[in-house]
Amino acid sequence: MANVSVAAEWQLLYNRYYRKPEIYQMRWKHVDLSRNKVACASFGGPIAVIRDDSKIVQLYAESALRKLRIFNSAGVLLSETVWKHPGGRLIGMSWSDDQTLISIVQDGTIYRYNIHAELIQPNVTMGKECFEQNVVECVFWGNGVVCLTEGGQLFCISDFKTMKPYKLADVPGLTEDDMLQPTCLAVREPQYTMSGNVEVLVAVGHEIYVVDEDEAQSIRFDEPSGEDSEMQNDDYGNLIGPVQKMIVSPNGKFLTLFTHDGRVVVVGMESKQIAIDYSCESALPPQQMAWCGMDSVLLYWDEDLMMVGPLGDPVHYFYDEPVILIPECDGVRILSNTSLEFLQRVPDSTESIFKIGSTSPAALLYDALDHFDRRSAKADENLRLIRSSLSEAVESCIDAAGHEFDVTRQRALLRAASYGQAFSSNFQRDRVQETCRTLRVLNAVRDPDIGIPLSIQQYKLLTPVVLISRLINAHSHLLALRISEYLGMNKEVVIMHWACAKITASASTPDAHLLEILLDKLQLCKGISYAAVATHADNCGRRKLAAMLVEHEPRSTKQVPLLLSIGEEDTALVKATESGDTDLVYLVIFHIWQKRPPLEFFAMIQGRVLARDLFVAYARCHKQEFLKDFFLSTGQIHEVAFLLWKESWDMGKNPMASKGSPLHGPRIKLMEKASNLFSQTKEHTFESKAAEEHAKLLRIQHELEASTKQAIFVDSSINDTIRTCIVLRNNRAAAKVKSEFKVSDKRWYWLKTFALATIKDWEALEKFSKEKRPPTGFRPFVEACIDADEKAEALKYIPKLSDLVERGEAYARIGMAKEAADAAAQANDGGELLERFRKTFSQNAIFDTLKMPFQGVS
Amino acid sequence: MAQIPNLENAPLNLKSIREKSQRELVNLLKDIRGTKCLVIDPKLSGSVSLIIQTSTLKELGLELRHLSEEPVQTECTKVVYLVRSQLSFMKHIASHIQNDISKAIQRDYYVYFVPRRSVACEKILEQEKVHNLVTVKEFPLYMVPLDEDVISFELELSEKDCLVDGDVSSLWHVAKAIHELEFSFGVIPKVRAKGKGSVRVADILNRMQVEEPVNTNDVGRPEVDTLILLDREVDMVTPMCTQLTYEGLLNEFLHISNGAVEVDSSVMGSQQEGKKMKVPLNSSIFDAWNRNCDFLGLDKHTVVDKLFKETRDLNFEVVVQVLRQKATTMKEDYTEINSVRLFCRSLPLGSLVFAVEVMTQTVSELKDFVKKLNSLPEMTRHIHLAQHLTTFTSKQSFLSQLDMEQTLVEAESYDICFEYIEELIHKQEPLTKVLRLLVLFSITNSGTELLHSYGFEHVNVLNNLEKAGLLKKQEFKSNWQTVKRTLKLIVEDTDTSRPVDIAYVYSGYAPLSIRLVQQAIHSGWRPIEDILKLLPGPHLETKRSGFPSSPSVDSLHGASNGVADGRRSVVLVVFIGGVTFAEISALRFLASKEGVAYDLIIATTKIINGATLIETFMDKQG
Repeated sequence: MANVSVAAEWQLLYNRYYRKPEIYQMRWKHVDLSRNKVACASFGGPIAVIRDDSKIVQLYAESALRKLRIFNSAGVLLSETVWKHPGGRLIGMSWSDDQTLISIVQDGTIYRYNIHAELIQPNVTMGKECFEQNVVECVFWGNGVVCLTEGGQLFCISDFKTMKPYKLADVPGLTEDDMLQPTCLAVREPQYTMSGNVEVLVAVGHEIYVVDEDEAQSIRFDEPSGEDSEMQNDDYGNLIGPVQKMIVSPNGKFLTLFTHDGRVVVVGMESKQIAIDYSCESALPPQQMAWCGMDSVLLYWDEDLMMVGPLGDPVHYFYDEPVILIPECDGVRILSNTSLEFLQRVPDSTESIFKIGSTSPAALLYDALDHFDRRSAKADENLRLIRSSLSEAVESCIDAAGHEFDVTRQRALLRAASYGQAFSSNFQRDRVQETCRTLRVLNAVRDPDIGIPLSIQQYKLLTPVVLISRLINAHSHLLALRISEYLGMNKEVVIMHWACAKITASASTPDAHLLEILLDKLQLCKGISYAAVATHADNCGRRKLAAMLVEHEPRSTKQVPLLLSIGEEDTALVKATESGDTDLVYLVIFHIWQKRPPLEFFAMIQGRVLARDLFVAYARCHKQEFLKDFFLSTGQIHEVAFLLWKESWDMGKNPMASKGSPLHGPRIKLMEKASNLFSQTKEHTFESKAAEEHAKLLRIQHELEASTKQAIFVDSSINDTIRTCIVLRNNRAAAKVKSEFKVSDKRWYWLKTFALATIKDWEALEKFSKEKRPPTGFRPFVEACIDADEKAEALKYIPKLSDLVERGEAYARIGMAKEAADAAAQANDGGELLERFRKTFSQNAIFDTLKMPFQGVS
Repeated sequence: MAQIPNLENAPLNLKSIREKSQRELVNLLKDIRGTKCLVIDPKLSGSVSLIIQTSTLKELGLELRHLSEEPVQTECTKVVYLVRSQLSFMKHIASHIQNDISKAIQRDYYVYFVPRRSVACEKILEQEKVHNLVTVKEFPLYMVPLDEDVISFELELSEKDCLVDGDVSSLWHVAKAIHELEFSFGVIPKVRAKGKGSVRVADILNRMQVEEPVNTNDVGRPEVDTLILLDREVDMVTPMCTQLTYEGLLNEFLHISNGAVEVDSSVMGSQQEGKKMKVPLNSSIFDAWNRNCDFLGLDKHTVVDKLFKETRDLNFEVVVQVLRQKATTMKEDYTEINSVRLFCRSLPLGSLVFAVEVMTQTVSELKDFVKKLNSLPEMTRHIHLAQHLTTFTSKQSFLSQLDMEQTLVEAESYDICFEYIEELIHKQEPLTKVLRLLVLFSITNSGTELLHSYGFEHVNVLNNLEKAGLLKKQEFKSNWQTVKRTLKLIVEDTDTSRPVDIAYVYSGYAPLSIRLVQQAIHSGWRPIEDILKLLPGPHLETKRSGFPSSPSVDSLHGASNGVADGRRSVVLVVFIGGVTFAEISALRFLASKEGVAYDLIIATTKIINGATLIETFMDKQG
């Protein structure tokens, strides 16, 4: 059978098969891993290589200056730079989760590089102690690092985004008195610990300590369950130590130790139970140790790579060149000078199809396709055999295809799946499509030029979004765009990044030309933030380009602040006004207000109606003096007058100010000033006169208050002042006010009648009515009496009403229906009037009768 | 007492909007742990009471206070200010905090802006050096449903801000609110706008759609078919006239605020004199009724004041007749069961029902009876209110004012009107009343002793009204005559009990604003373009693109469209600067006419009447 060759490459570890396909022949030349320090990023990330300055190496035809070179996983050079940093030897170098290369030198300085070998500023240091004591070792994880100093102290950065170093607790035995050196270090990432903080495992002497910020605790392990029961718990820990090497499993639950006597021990971190205890042939500690997924542990000595599983004999692989183990979530990548391999446990689906002699449904289905291709009737026979479990077989083929790196084999497996699918009724058909789509993406990024050899499991863990961001970081924009499109993801991230990268890279392209290039691509994505691109352009020192770009930003909330920051205040004001969002206009106003001298500011907003009005509204509430300056400088004298007038009013209202000295002096002055200002313009003669009269009134009121010794006049109207005078029976004062303000006779009659009615001085009222023929007629007298509910008094004046309709109505109002009707009858349109009276009189009666029965209920 | 309006039968799902606001507010308040003191600006607290029960707020561990100049008296260490973004409030808040600092009281301060933060407000906090002491957040309350068909943006100052101060913030707010509606109900395809503000709102709305598009795929076919935007400025005549519908009159005389009126309790037949009581109008949940609900297993929440729903839009004259009729029938029912009533007179209502049951009535009859009993409180309530109103409407001064308004609207004999207004001034009648007529006079014709009577502080009002174009000093020719004639605003012989035209709401005057809406819906504005040009501000009719082709036709002619798929189309009418109850009634009348295939939703910056509108123009001095 054709499948035999596949399984022939597998190795069996106890009952599990492992495979180690070669993924790339390395494209690089003359790279010897043994001469270099190498940092390989997980998830198929880049490889950083730099000559190891802790080793003595022979220089061939090369510069003595060290070069940091960054390759993709296929050994294609991405970037390089000369390393000439001070601070001593390079101690550790590793890629962070967001693919920043973190390198730490002896004095604790951290140099960060992006994938383009560009130094990311600023450089950070691990702190004073590290500087003084020197860093001797560091252990990295995805988002942090722990450093050990010569003085035996531990320092930690637990988040590369904030880069804040802090000290961990001192470990007993590492203090200066004992001068012990730890044999090895390991880190449990914060995401796996109970506390959520990083825990460092330090092996010192016979002990292993778990160290965090607050304390260092020694840990003990239980004996292996079973036969060795004569050993005491306490002793077992001692039997393990001193530990020469240790690593934590990818899920943080297990710890692998290599002991002084050459044993590989795997213990559970929480349970402290020993899962594996295997004695190696030599007690020499391995150079490298790594977990292969969660399945087994790899140990590497020169030329010998050994894989230990829970049970059974280990598997040995032999290499004639140095290798580097790169742990991944589902296996280990093995990098050598010439090739990159991926060691993983054979997935169950693949095993069921390709295992020698397998008769699983999936194997039969795969076989059936082979027969079908060869037009053999056996195809049908196979299919019939597995009819009942066809969908399961299809599923397995799809799954196996996903795990395959070899495109031909992917195709064969997918063909088998779709062949089986044709005979299966109850299978989710989009599974094939989905896997095809994923595989297309994977094959695209696995291309040696891109060099990201992700397995399907890694891809799912990494998520497409992160993959895209890694691609754009590596400036593979086109591929990132294609993949986004293909997967139906938002293209904005890609295009945005491209645009920014393009601007950075095109320093010599003229603005107009570059703008054209950018717009061409930016238009691909609706709703993209032009403002963000413009900000970047501005940061790159291309202010003009920024201004051109921001013009295209549809969101004014983003556009306006940016325009301000690039100094385009005029445009900002125009755009803010156009948006109708007054908040934005205010933003611009305050910005200009702060930056420009007042006169310039005034000139700028004077021509802009909305900005001016908003400024005035704000200043009215909060900056009145400044507002006066504005009105003065723009020649709006009457507005200043209004402000002064209001000020005088506020002064009177303010209870604090009215205590003590009489305030009418300053108040009157303000009013007179206002009146003066009003009089400067033709249109405001009315206001001018009013302000003048107001001042006059206030003066008179103060005099009245002084003479009557009653503080009841100030700030009442002229009418009220007169009324108060009459009520106080001070007729002379009333008459004086009347003549001062030329109160018309008509108004005077209304005023006085009502005032007299209020104090119920009916005698005076009657006298007043007889002074002369009232210019208002007798209506004021009638109404004043009716309002005061004095029918008898009202009757004195009703007959004197000349208008018959009025007379009728007056009678009606005091309830004299007959007289009302009589008057109405005499009037011309009497019929209508009569009808209305009838209605009013009857309506109230209706309500009363209606309400009766309900009263008890509500 | 429940003040939250009932929204069961709304043509749009307004309830979801209200619930969203409720959730947002509760979440905002829950963010702050422990007991806290909530300080609301007084106007806003009215709006908030329309979306959430005060009891719900108290359950969140809140002490409630109103914002004023006075420092907040509370033991709480956390003070939450819930305020509209108005500059004047910032000074209060700043002074409160400074006061606490001077007394060495340590508190956490939170300022929640409604509906959003504002640069200008925060600037003041900054300048008062308290900005770093407060946590600033926003509560995006852009609108409050007042009724099944009425939404308010709660922008009472909109008209004054726009016309006098040139502060057009409210236009953005209105556009934002409509855009929010579009997120729920789809992009409105047809837009008609008249007036400067309206056209601007339509423009901002289009911008918002570009900046922050409503995804048409998410929302599906738009539920609202047409948007009609109208500036109050276009028709200032209508609000200046006295409304003659029941609800309108209630508002004119008793001032409806947040769905209730406040009257002296003696008006409602209570014995306690001089005590004020709140009478809710839209919704009524009475304790007695609730007990009966429990007793009979009826649903409590469906209780709406049906009687009010029936009568609110009628001309008040008719309301009196309707009430009389209803009362008479009820009286007859009463006599029927009078024996029972006598029998258990002393029993409480619950036991009364029980007693009736004992007297061998069937259950369904019993329920009928209880339903009638339930309408009793409504009946009495409205009889009380109506009677209270007649005390105003039967006054001579009221009648002559109506006369005067009629004369002004008909634009005849100005001399009488002028004399009348002069007399009002002499009598020192309320300033708003005088200004209302003056404005009417100025608009319908061409434009004192005012200051002497009322005090010089009112010079600002005049100035403001003049800036707003409501009062005109110089003689100028008015278009009113033409407008009135062409749009048939004066309708002779209106039968208010069987109205055929919207003119019934003002007993003979058809509100100009509603005529414009009527035209817009029935035949579009093209035929009356000449008239539109005579009214202030530009106008605009557009179709907005970007929808999956909708089957709607050009105009909303007849029943041909909208009902095709069994669904009535919805027209959203937005008044920028406020709308009166009478106008709402007129719109409801339009929608209720036979053969009409659309529902109307009315949105407004605020419910107004002439007096409240003019009051906004009066700067509070000092």
